[in-house]
Amino acid sequence: MPLLPRPATARLLAAAVRPASRRLGPASARTYADEGAHDRSVQPDPKSSTSDAPSAKPGDSAMIRQQGPAEGAPRHKPDYDVAVDYRTSKFSPIPMRVMDGSEPGEAVAAAVLSGAPTELQARTVRIYRPAKTATQSGTWHGHHWRMDWDVLEKGHRWENPLMGWQSSADFMQGTHLNLNTKQDAIDFANKQGYEYFVQEPNERRIVPKAYANNFLHSPKRLKHIRTK
Amino acid sequence: MINPTYLAQKTRTSVNWADARRRVIKSYRDWLRAAPEIQQMYSLNMPVSAIRTKARQEFERHRYVAQLPTVDVLITKSNEEYQETINYWKQLTHVLKYFRAEDDPKARLPHNFVAGFLEGRN
Repeated sequence: MPLLPRPATARLLAAAVRPASRRLGPASARTYADEGAHDRSVQPDPKSSTSDAPSAKPGDSAMIRQQGPAEGAPRHKPDYDVAVDYRTSKFSPIPMRVMDGSEPGEAVAAAVLSGAPTELQARTVRIYRPAKTATQSGTWHGHHWRMDWDVLEKGHRWENPLMGWQSSADFMQGTHLNLNTKQDAIDFANKQGYEYFVQEPNERRIVPKAYANNFLHSPKRLKHIRTK
Repeated sequence: MINPTYLAQKTRTSVNWADARRRVIKSYRDWLRAAPEIQQMYSLNMPVSAIRTKARQEFERHRYVAQLPTVDVLITKSNEEYQETINYWKQLTHVLKYFRAEDDPKARLPHNFVAGFLEGRN
């Protein structure tokens, strides 16, 4: 390969170098860093030293500018400029944003350090409590919270041409994580940079009943409804 | 006496951001200096500047990290990769993993929705 294709390299380098303000996290975590302020007239004069963190205090470091109102909002459209890693394939979904460690408030930017494929941050995760098995009365399995990955648009399943077995390009199919509380699950999803939605469980309503209420007399309309 | 392996770095935390900055730049300079050796060792069919650009890209990916412990772990990972590459513990596939996006058109994301739709991502 004597010469690299210029557009691909330029786009890849541009994707990695572009300011992180366009890579916005979920509502609980937003990026602040932006290297190019468009109107310096309203910003303080940038001054920085090597002892400053990249996003220590707004107005102090040269890399920071105050966030505009649109930049703080979470993204709802796929971001085609995201820097890819070596595991991107033609089945990979396009992420809304990829965590890059500049989000404030996260204890650990695990998405940056874990080495997991960045396409995992494109996939939505469902956090729910699995329902009780309808055929039995035991509720033991309905106490924990489970995290499940949505299926891919393409590539989650096809028929193997040789034997007719079900093949898949989805490495998270059939994987679920069990956690103790809802907040644990949400913290995990935030830490790993997953898009998530929480499905609240349907709580069973047990009505206390008294058999004697069936025989109470009332002169007007019956106040006691026997079936509810 | 125990001799550590060549290029082994003791894991340590950075004292402050200036310290972290020095360590990052030192690690980056090591990669730049090692680029011709990597090209010769693994017989890569690309100019040395391509390897340096790739090193730059990987460092730029984490430019805006805001937490010092995260930076420490990233520096440790960079040192690990450096040791594995220079000691010839890696194989060609492991080095070419970094260049997959340039080699393989299927390993890239499309430019926009229509380009993705035409290549079949729908």
